[in-house]
Amino acid sequence: MFIIIQFIQPARNNNGQVLPTDISKQCSLPQNVQAVLKTSCYDCHSNKTHYPWYSYIQPVRWILDRHINEGKENLNFSEFGAYSARRQLSKLKAIENSIHDNTMPLSSYTLIHKNARLTPDDNVLIMDWARKTIVLTQ
Amino acid sequence: MAAISATILTACNNNSNSSSKAGGDSSAADQAVPAAAETKAASPVKDILAGYLQLKNALAGDNGNDAAAAGNAMVDAFQKFDKSALTAAQKKTYEDMEDDAREHAEHIGKNAANVPHQREHFDMLSKDMYELVKTFGGGQILYQDYCPMYNDGKGAIWLSEVKEIKNPYLGKKMPACGSIKEELK
Repeated sequence: MFIIIQFIQPARNNNGQVLPTDISKQCSLPQNVQAVLKTSCYDCHSNKTHYPWYSYIQPVRWILDRHINEGKENLNFSEFGAYSARRQLSKLKAIENSIHDNTMPLSSYTLIHKNARLTPDDNVLIMDWARKTIVLTQ
Repeated sequence: MAAISATILTACNNNSNSSSKAGGDSSAADQAVPAAAETKAASPVKDILAGYLQLKNALAGDNGNDAAAAGNAMVDAFQKFDKSALTAAQKKTYEDMEDDAREHAEHIGKNAANVPHQREHFDMLSKDMYELVKTFGGGQILYQDYCPMYNDGKGAIWLSEVKEIKNPYLGKKMPACGSIKEELK
């Protein structure tokens, strides 16, 4: 059974291009902020997931895919520009809130993806950026 | 609460309905028909607003389950909302608002066990609701209340159907914290 399910490899969440709706084309996004978002958020919140080696092992892949689908449904940085202005604001506030409350990145994710853990400095950086962008967007 | 808002709605309808009442129909059944039509004209967002006020009262009582139920009721009301009667400009305002507000209502519906998270979404939802009521009217007297303490002192607003402050952000901890900012008619 374990061997059989290894042959099931769903399509990857990686469309290989930066869409015009990508947040980097919509808001001012300093490089250091983008680097943190890429490492700690984009795996589940964009169209560009970086798949680690163990993602090739089932059923890890299924669990991962579920997280990615749910994450993208709630916030997709690649399609940020397609949200209404109001929704963009809400998303930025939700980013600030979830970092403030330490609910993101999910602890189940950082348990394995140790490099995705946010340092206190990262937290401040992201929250400051979100707050500034909220003011600019309003 | 439902009874109160029903009373207010009826009161409003009776006022604006005085011309048809002059016709002389006095039975409750006869009144109910024009009243329903009048309410729809007075506030197309009545059901959405009813869900919101239910949610606000649930949060004031720290009740995550009731808040979730109200959130789901709002999602329902958004789905059933009839956009055909709106002007193009109203429709745009509505769609822009709904895109955001419906998502907040959904999250509140899914987080019965997490009242603080429900409140974070309620904060953003309240701003949407304020715009909605400003655009379409509430069909009843509403108050825009303000809590200066929520969100690490950044403050937050909410809409209420009663004058008395019942703080949905701090709940039973500080029920009377806040003040009326604006009366919406």
